[in-house]
Amino acid sequence: MLDHQSLVGAARWLQGSALGHFMRESSVWTYAIVNLAHILGVASLFGSVLVLDLRLLGIGRRVPLAPLADATVPVASAGFLLAAVTGAGLLVTKATEYVGNPYLAVKFPAILLGLINVLVIRRSDAWRARARGELSALERRRLAVMGGLSLACWLTAVASGRLIAYW
Amino acid sequence: MRTLSRRRVVVLAAGVFGVVALLSARPVSAHHGWGGYLDAEFEISGTVEQPVSLAGPHATMVIKGTDGHSWNVVLAPPPRSQQAGLKDGMIPVGSKVTAHGHRHRDTDRYEIKTERLTWGDKVFNVYPDRS
Repeated sequence: MLDHQSLVGAARWLQGSALGHFMRESSVWTYAIVNLAHILGVASLFGSVLVLDLRLLGIGRRVPLAPLADATVPVASAGFLLAAVTGAGLLVTKATEYVGNPYLAVKFPAILLGLINVLVIRRSDAWRARARGELSALERRRLAVMGGLSLACWLTAVASGRLIAYW
Repeated sequence: MRTLSRRRVVVLAAGVFGVVALLSARPVSAHHGWGGYLDAEFEISGTVEQPVSLAGPHATMVIKGTDGHSWNVVLAPPPRSQQAGLKDGMIPVGSKVTAHGHRHRDTDRYEIKTERLTWGDKVFNVYPDRS
Protein backbone atom coordinates (compact mmCIF):
# COMPACT_ATOMS: atom_id res chain seq x y z
CA MET A 1 0.00 0.00 0.00
CA LEU A 2 2.70 2.45 0.98
CA ASP A 3 5.01 1.76 -1.96
CA HIS A 4 6.65 4.62 -3.78
CA GLN A 5 4.33 4.49 -6.76
CA SER A 6 1.08 4.83 -4.82
CA LEU A 7 2.61 7.55 -2.62
CA VAL A 8 3.48 9.53 -5.73
CA GLY A 9 -0.05 9.00 -7.02
CA ALA A 10 -1.57 10.20 -3.75
CA ALA A 11 0.77 13.20 -3.69
CA ARG A 12 -0.20 14.16 -7.26
CA TRP A 13 -3.86 13.96 -6.34
CA LEU A 14 -3.32 16.13 -3.24
CA GLN A 15 -1.32 18.64 -5.24
CA GLY A 16 -4.09 18.88 -7.84
CA SER A 17 -6.79 19.42 -5.20
CA ALA A 18 -8.62 22.74 -4.77
CA LEU A 19 -6.53 23.39 -1.64
CA GLY A 20 -3.34 22.79 -3.62
CA HIS A 21 -4.39 25.27 -6.30
CA PHE A 22 -5.37 27.81 -3.67
CA MET A 23 -2.02 27.46 -1.88
CA ARG A 24 -0.06 28.00 -5.09
CA GLU A 25 -2.13 30.49 -6.99
CA SER A 26 -3.94 32.83 -4.60
CA SER A 27 -0.94 35.05 -3.73
CA VAL A 28 2.83 34.94 -3.34
CA TRP A 29 2.24 35.51 0.38
CA THR A 30 -0.21 32.62 0.92
CA TYR A 31 2.43 30.06 1.84
CA ALA A 32 4.15 32.45 4.25
CA ILE A 33 0.90 33.35 6.02
CA VAL A 34 -0.25 29.73 6.31
CA ASN A 35 3.25 28.85 7.53
CA LEU A 36 2.97 31.52 10.22
CA ALA A 37 -0.43 30.16 11.33
CA HIS A 38 1.10 26.66 11.44
CA ILE A 39 3.86 27.87 13.74
CA LEU A 40 1.33 29.60 16.00
CA GLY A 41 -0.67 26.36 16.15
CA VAL A 42 2.42 24.30 16.96
CA ALA A 43 3.57 26.85 19.57
CA SER A 44 0.15 26.80 21.29
CA LEU A 45 0.03 23.01 21.24
CA PHE A 46 3.58 22.37 22.38
CA GLY A 47 3.69 25.22 24.90
CA SER A 48 0.58 24.06 26.75
CA VAL A 49 1.48 20.37 26.46
CA LEU A 50 4.94 21.11 27.88
CA VAL A 51 3.53 22.82 30.97
CA LEU A 52 1.03 20.03 31.59
CA ASP A 53 3.49 17.20 30.95
CA LEU A 54 6.10 18.75 33.24
CA ARG A 55 3.43 18.97 35.93
CA LEU A 56 2.58 15.29 35.36
CA LEU A 57 6.29 14.56 35.75
CA GLY A 58 6.11 16.28 39.12
CA ILE A 59 7.41 19.76 38.35
CA GLY A 60 5.45 22.61 39.89
CA ARG A 61 3.41 20.31 42.10
CA ARG A 62 2.27 23.29 44.14
CA VAL A 63 -0.14 24.02 41.28
CA PRO A 64 -3.17 21.71 41.50
CA LEU A 65 -3.48 19.42 38.48
CA ALA A 66 -7.19 19.90 37.77
CA PRO A 67 -7.21 23.68 37.14
CA LEU A 68 -3.90 23.43 35.27
CA ALA A 69 -5.46 20.83 32.98
CA ASP A 70 -8.55 23.02 32.56
CA ALA A 71 -6.32 25.86 31.37
CA THR A 72 -3.88 23.94 29.14
CA VAL A 73 -5.97 21.24 27.45
CA PRO A 74 -8.27 23.59 25.47
CA VAL A 75 -5.27 25.62 24.27
CA ALA A 76 -3.51 22.42 23.21
CA SER A 77 -6.61 21.20 21.35
CA ALA A 78 -7.11 24.49 19.53
CA GLY A 79 -3.39 24.62 18.68
CA PHE A 80 -3.51 21.08 17.32
CA LEU A 81 -6.53 21.87 15.13
CA LEU A 82 -4.90 25.00 13.72
CA ALA A 83 -1.63 23.15 13.10
CA ALA A 84 -3.39 20.23 11.40
CA VAL A 85 -5.47 22.38 9.05
CA THR A 86 -2.61 24.69 8.06
CA GLY A 87 -0.21 21.74 7.88
CA ALA A 88 -2.45 20.11 5.27
CA GLY A 89 -2.18 23.31 3.21
CA LEU A 90 1.61 23.43 3.47
CA LEU A 91 1.90 19.76 2.50
CA VAL A 92 -0.35 19.84 -0.57
CA THR A 93 1.33 22.95 -2.04
CA LYS A 94 4.06 20.79 -3.59
CA ALA A 95 3.09 17.38 -2.20
CA THR A 96 5.16 15.38 -4.70
CA GLU A 97 8.37 16.97 -3.38
CA TYR A 98 7.80 15.42 0.04
CA VAL A 99 7.52 11.83 -1.13
CA GLY A 100 10.44 9.97 0.42
CA ASN A 101 11.23 12.70 2.94
CA PRO A 102 12.36 10.68 5.98
CA TYR A 103 11.35 13.37 8.49
CA LEU A 104 7.71 13.13 7.43
CA ALA A 105 7.93 9.38 8.02
CA VAL A 106 9.01 10.16 11.60
CA LYS A 107 6.65 13.07 12.17
CA PHE A 108 3.32 11.45 11.32
CA PRO A 109 3.81 8.31 13.47
CA ALA A 110 4.96 10.57 16.33
CA ILE A 111 1.75 12.61 16.03
CA LEU A 112 -0.32 9.42 15.89
CA LEU A 113 1.38 8.06 19.02
CA GLY A 114 0.89 11.43 20.75
CA LEU A 115 -2.84 11.32 19.98
CA ILE A 116 -3.17 7.70 21.11
CA ASN A 117 -1.40 8.72 24.32
CA VAL A 118 -3.97 11.50 24.82
CA LEU A 119 -6.77 8.92 24.57
CA VAL A 120 -5.00 6.58 26.99
CA ILE A 121 -4.46 9.38 29.52
CA ARG A 122 -8.04 10.58 29.31
CA ARG A 123 -9.40 7.07 29.88
CA SER A 124 -7.11 6.31 32.81
CA ASP A 125 -8.40 6.23 36.38
CA ALA A 126 -5.42 8.29 37.48
CA TRP A 127 -6.45 11.16 35.15
CA ARG A 128 -10.10 10.93 36.21
CA ALA A 129 -9.00 11.15 39.83
CA ARG A 130 -7.20 14.48 39.24
CA ALA A 131 -10.06 16.50 40.73
CA ARG A 132 -9.53 14.65 44.00
CA GLY A 133 -6.30 16.55 44.50
CA GLU A 134 -4.36 13.96 46.48
CA LEU A 135 -3.38 11.16 44.13
CA SER A 136 -1.88 7.89 45.28
CA ALA A 137 1.79 7.23 44.57
CA LEU A 138 0.81 4.69 41.91
CA GLU A 139 -1.54 7.14 40.16
CA ARG A 140 1.15 9.82 40.21
CA ARG A 141 3.66 7.43 38.71
CA ARG A 142 1.26 6.39 35.95
CA LEU A 143 0.54 10.00 35.06
CA ALA A 144 4.26 10.75 35.08
CA VAL A 145 4.95 7.92 32.63
CA MET A 146 2.20 9.09 30.27
CA GLY A 147 3.33 12.70 30.61
CA GLY A 148 6.88 11.69 29.73
CA LEU A 149 5.64 9.70 26.72
CA SER A 150 3.57 12.67 25.62
CA LEU A 151 6.55 14.98 25.84
CA ALA A 152 8.72 12.56 23.84
CA CYS A 153 6.05 12.22 21.12
CA TRP A 154 5.45 15.94 20.68
CA LEU A 155 9.16 16.81 20.88
CA THR A 156 9.81 14.27 18.14
CA ALA A 157 6.91 15.61 16.06
CA VAL A 158 8.09 19.22 16.36
CA ALA A 159 11.77 18.41 15.74
CA SER A 160 11.14 16.18 12.73
CA GLY A 161 8.56 18.64 11.43
CA ARG A 162 11.08 21.45 11.43
CA LEU A 163 13.63 19.19 9.73
CA ILE A 164 11.37 18.40 6.77
CA ALA A 165 12.76 21.54 5.15
CA TYR A 166 16.35 20.35 5.67
CA TRP A 167 16.26 17.20 3.65
CA MET B 1 15.39 16.03 47.73
CA ARG B 2 16.14 12.69 46.10
CA THR B 3 12.83 12.60 44.24
CA LEU B 4 13.40 16.15 43.04
CA SER B 5 16.73 15.24 41.51
CA ARG B 6 15.18 12.22 39.85
CA ARG B 7 12.54 14.46 38.32
CA ARG B 8 15.27 16.73 37.09
CA VAL B 9 16.90 13.75 35.43
CA VAL B 10 13.66 12.98 33.58
CA VAL B 11 13.34 16.55 32.34
CA LEU B 12 17.00 16.67 31.37
CA ALA B 13 16.61 13.41 29.49
CA ALA B 14 13.66 14.83 27.56
CA GLY B 15 15.69 17.94 26.71
CA VAL B 16 18.71 15.93 25.66
CA PHE B 17 16.46 13.75 23.50
CA GLY B 18 15.20 16.80 21.65
CA VAL B 19 18.66 18.25 21.12
CA VAL B 20 20.06 14.93 19.94
CA ALA B 21 17.14 14.54 17.53
CA LEU B 22 17.98 17.94 16.10
CA LEU B 23 21.73 17.40 15.88
CA SER B 24 21.70 13.82 14.62
CA ALA B 25 19.98 15.07 11.51
CA ARG B 26 22.78 17.21 10.13
CA PRO B 27 21.21 19.69 7.75
CA VAL B 28 23.64 18.73 5.01
CA SER B 29 21.04 19.03 2.33
CA ALA B 30 19.05 22.01 3.42
CA HIS B 31 16.66 23.78 1.14
CA HIS B 32 16.67 26.59 3.62
CA GLY B 33 19.74 28.70 4.09
CA TRP B 34 22.95 28.13 2.19
CA GLY B 35 24.52 25.47 4.41
CA GLY B 36 23.32 22.66 2.18
CA TYR B 37 25.06 24.14 -0.85
CA LEU B 38 28.70 24.25 -1.90
CA ASP B 39 30.63 27.45 -1.19
CA ALA B 40 32.00 27.74 -4.73
CA GLU B 41 30.06 29.84 -7.23
CA PHE B 42 28.32 27.69 -9.82
CA GLU B 43 26.54 28.26 -13.09
CA ILE B 44 24.32 26.06 -15.24
CA SER B 45 22.65 26.89 -18.56
CA GLY B 46 19.82 25.03 -20.19
CA THR B 47 16.30 25.14 -21.54
CA VAL B 48 13.18 25.54 -19.42
CA GLU B 49 11.39 22.26 -18.72
CA GLN B 50 8.99 23.47 -16.04
CA PRO B 51 8.35 27.21 -15.90
CA VAL B 52 8.81 29.37 -12.81
CA SER B 53 6.41 28.58 -9.97
CA LEU B 54 6.08 31.27 -7.31
CA ALA B 55 4.65 28.85 -4.74
CA GLY B 56 5.77 27.12 -1.60
CA PRO B 57 8.72 28.01 0.62
CA HIS B 58 10.87 28.83 -2.44
CA ALA B 59 10.05 29.70 -6.01
CA THR B 60 11.28 26.94 -8.31
CA MET B 61 11.75 25.97 -11.93
CA VAL B 62 13.24 22.98 -13.76
CA ILE B 63 15.67 23.32 -16.64
CA LYS B 64 17.26 20.75 -18.94
CA GLY B 65 20.94 21.53 -18.45
CA THR B 66 23.48 21.55 -21.28
CA ASP B 67 24.99 18.59 -19.40
CA GLY B 68 21.84 16.58 -20.18
CA HIS B 69 20.51 16.51 -16.61
CA SER B 70 17.27 18.00 -15.36
CA TRP B 71 18.20 20.71 -12.87
CA ASN B 72 16.02 21.77 -10.01
CA VAL B 73 16.48 25.55 -9.95
CA VAL B 74 15.64 26.83 -6.47
CA LEU B 75 14.99 30.57 -6.35
CA ALA B 76 14.24 32.95 -3.47
CA PRO B 77 10.98 32.75 -1.49
CA PRO B 78 7.99 33.76 -3.68
CA PRO B 79 7.62 37.41 -2.54
CA ARG B 80 11.31 38.07 -3.01
CA SER B 81 11.41 36.33 -6.40
CA GLN B 82 8.44 38.42 -7.49
CA GLN B 83 10.22 41.55 -6.34
CA ALA B 84 13.12 40.55 -8.57
CA GLY B 85 10.71 40.66 -11.52
CA LEU B 86 9.70 37.01 -11.87
CA LYS B 87 6.09 36.02 -12.51
CA ASP B 88 4.42 32.61 -12.50
CA GLY B 89 5.23 30.85 -15.76
CA MET B 90 6.66 33.99 -17.39
CA ILE B 91 9.61 32.22 -19.03
CA PRO B 92 8.15 29.83 -21.63
CA VAL B 93 9.12 26.17 -21.80
CA GLY B 94 12.07 25.75 -24.15
CA SER B 95 13.61 29.17 -23.43
CA LYS B 96 17.36 29.32 -22.85
CA VAL B 97 18.28 30.45 -19.35
CA THR B 98 21.35 30.54 -17.11
CA ALA B 99 21.20 30.09 -13.35
CA HIS B 100 24.07 31.42 -11.26
CA GLY B 101 24.40 30.45 -7.62
CA HIS B 102 25.52 27.47 -5.57
CA ARG B 103 25.29 23.79 -6.29
CA HIS B 104 23.82 21.29 -3.87
CA ARG B 105 26.42 19.66 -1.62
CA ASP B 106 25.13 16.27 -2.71
CA THR B 107 26.38 16.30 -6.30
CA ASP B 108 24.13 13.33 -7.13
CA ARG B 109 21.32 15.85 -6.83
CA TYR B 110 21.08 18.27 -9.71
CA GLU B 111 19.96 21.25 -7.74
CA ILE B 112 21.17 24.83 -7.71
CA LYS B 113 20.18 27.52 -5.26
CA THR B 114 20.06 30.50 -7.51
CA GLU B 115 21.25 34.02 -6.80
CA ARG B 116 20.84 35.32 -10.32
CA LEU B 117 18.78 34.04 -13.25
CA THR B 118 19.49 35.25 -16.78
CA TRP B 119 17.00 34.97 -19.66
CA GLY B 120 18.18 36.69 -22.85
CA ASP B 121 18.90 40.28 -21.85
CA LYS B 122 16.83 40.00 -18.65
CA VAL B 123 18.58 39.44 -15.34
CA PHE B 124 16.64 38.46 -12.22
CA ASN B 125 18.67 39.12 -9.09
CA VAL B 126 16.60 37.11 -6.63
CA TYR B 127 19.29 37.50 -3.97
CA PRO B 128 20.69 40.92 -4.88
CA ASP B 129 22.73 41.20 -1.68
CA ARG B 130 24.65 38.02 -2.48
CA SER B 131 25.65 38.31 -6.11
